Amino acid sequence: MDYALQQLLNALAFGAEYSLVALGLAVVFSIMGLVNFAHGEIIGVSAYSVFLAAALGLTSPIVAVLLAVAAAALAAIAFERVAFRPVRYAPTTTGLLTAFGVSIVVQNLFMLLISPKPQSVSILNGLNQMWFFGPFAVSSLQVMELVVSGLTILALVLFLNRSTLGLAIRAASRDFATVRLMGIRANRVIATAFAISGALAGIAAVFIIARRGSVSPDLGFSLVLKAFVACVIGGFGSLAGAAAGGMLLGFIEVGLLVALPQEYGGFKDALTYVIIVALLVYRPEGLLGQRVELGDKEI
Amino acid sequence: MARSEVSQAIENTVLPAAAVAQPGGALTRSLIGGLVTSLPVLMVGLAILNFAPTYYTYLALGAFVNLIVVVGLQVFMGNSNIANLGHSAFVGLGAYGVAILSTPLAMKKLSIPNAPFGFATLQLDPVSSALIALVVVGILAAVSGKVISRLSGVAATIVSLALLIIVHSVFLNWTDLFKGNQAFFGIPKVVGLPWMMVFSVVVIVLARLFKDSRWGLQLRASAQSPQAAAALGIDARRLRLMSWVLSALICGLAGVLYAYFAGTISPKLFYFQMIFNTLAMLILGGMATVTGAVTGVIVLSVGLEFIRSIESGVTIAGIQLPQLLGLSGVALGVVIVLCMAFRPSGISGRYELDELLSRFFRRSAK
Repeated sequence: MDYALQQLLNALAFGAEYSLVALGLAVVFSIMGLVNFAHGEIIGVSAYSVFLAAALGLTSPIVAVLLAVAAAALAAIAFERVAFRPVRYAPTTTGLLTAFGVSIVVQNLFMLLISPKPQSVSILNGLNQMWFFGPFAVSSLQVMELVVSGLTILALVLFLNRSTLGLAIRAASRDFATVRLMGIRANRVIATAFAISGALAGIAAVFIIARRGSVSPDLGFSLVLKAFVACVIGGFGSLAGAAAGGMLLGFIEVGLLVALPQEYGGFKDALTYVIIVALLVYRPEGLLGQRVELGDKEI
Repeated sequence: MARSEVSQAIENTVLPAAAVAQPGGALTRSLIGGLVTSLPVLMVGLAILNFAPTYYTYLALGAFVNLIVVVGLQVFMGNSNIANLGHSAFVGLGAYGVAILSTPLAMKKLSIPNAPFGFATLQLDPVSSALIALVVVGILAAVSGKVISRLSGVAATIVSLALLIIVHSVFLNWTDLFKGNQAFFGIPKVVGLPWMMVFSVVVIVLARLFKDSRWGLQLRASAQSPQAAAALGIDARRLRLMSWVLSALICGLAGVLYAYFAGTISPKLFYFQMIFNTLAMLILGGMATVTGAVTGVIVLSVGLEFIRSIESGVTIAGIQLPQLLGLSGVALGVVIVLCMAFRPSGISGRYELDELLSRFFRRSAK
């Protein structure tokens, strides 16, 4: 029983993290059709700014958390301004490849300017403790991941539903041209979307640093690949789909971890992806995605 | 008189690409076009074969493998306009296929003594190993292509990435067969520069023939306007599957050749680094044409070699620069980003080399 509960918490925590990152991807994709491969590097920028601040003498974990989120939001806005604005109205493939290029540049800049080797960051280690509830021992980090992700998603839903800018963002994902005709600035909507996406990545970065205790240049890359897969299962561009896809991915991973014998543990990733590809054979448009009429987005 | 002028004008404006001076059918035209495109490659190859020291020959062999990979990538990406980020999986499969089949038994006792399915006691000659490896690549490509061709653009790209991760993780974890993280050595070194040049030319011509064929044309049409193409009765899924398999086979061939010239392979060779390099080459050259693929490989191979020499730390005017790991990666990324922002069609743009040449000569003849 204890074991089952522990694995359930594991799955929920993994799923929450994937959902956070996948939501960040989906917010940007739904508005401007950009497949943001550089999302992992936003996580990277956030993690490295915590590393640098700690190296310069920062000791307060709360400030470090705020710094991580702020740095990620700023990095996302900066990426949009520098790299993605020139390709805003270009075909999806162009944007995708641009983002891939940005991701390569930033990853290699970390290598070039800091170090190719992982660097240790201990400032957030305090978040990762064991909590005891009677007979149960749970990782504080996992509980926090679950709670914080839940609250963040709630806040996002409230923002999108209750504020004017949120309304504009939702409208922009349907028909950007009309939103602009209503007198709302395109740049503001897109910058807000990127800031939200970045902040979500920053929260994920906090958990990653707390869990690993170190930063490395490819820190966010594999996580973002999984988040992409979560988006694809959920239906690309659908926010609810991204969150659900992330959770499903968490459960598939932990399920495999439990089901696979120890010596085959290395095949976990391969099998996860195989299951997902098999899912896509039956629902190519994703679980919550709608079958779009091809050509709808053509001008 | 007036009428022929009109038809001339139509021919010039509507069909600039097709209005090539050569007589003969479309097949001959694209065959000659492919050969013209491969001329620069042949010249570079011959120059290196005759004059360059051994070190450069080795570099050139690597560049030729990249060339074949990039041409293979162009076959799918250029015609279907879907980004493929998983092609190096097929390069790896080709390389590991021949490694497992053709490595001498004495070497296998050292490297994979516990290989399943009797591979530990099996040794085939290089040619049949290569053929079997390509058949395996073809089968896996057909299976994965079945999924990929059903998906829309973005989802297809993500699944191609997932494919890369699946294959890489199998290479790493199935240690009895693939030796895991360690280098797989002892593959017979049977391919030199001449063979590499022959295969490069074959692959370039093949890619050009596919692009100009009716399937290639239909696929390009469906990439530009899915609805219009579907209205004309074009089965885009079947065509995407076809180009995916052809692209995978060419990439597999590149892997086979790599294994046969290097003699040693390891999984990390066929992972993201190769994707970055070849993708940047294709984008820089221009992915719409086979000429673009060739141009990109030539330009970036030279450029990257130059950057790598700086990266390892050089002495400029008596000052020793430190090692700059990551510089080539930054350069690759910058190339991709700048290309996408300022010239999404790459260096060569819409036209193949022979089309450019014939346009140029007709203009100067007038």
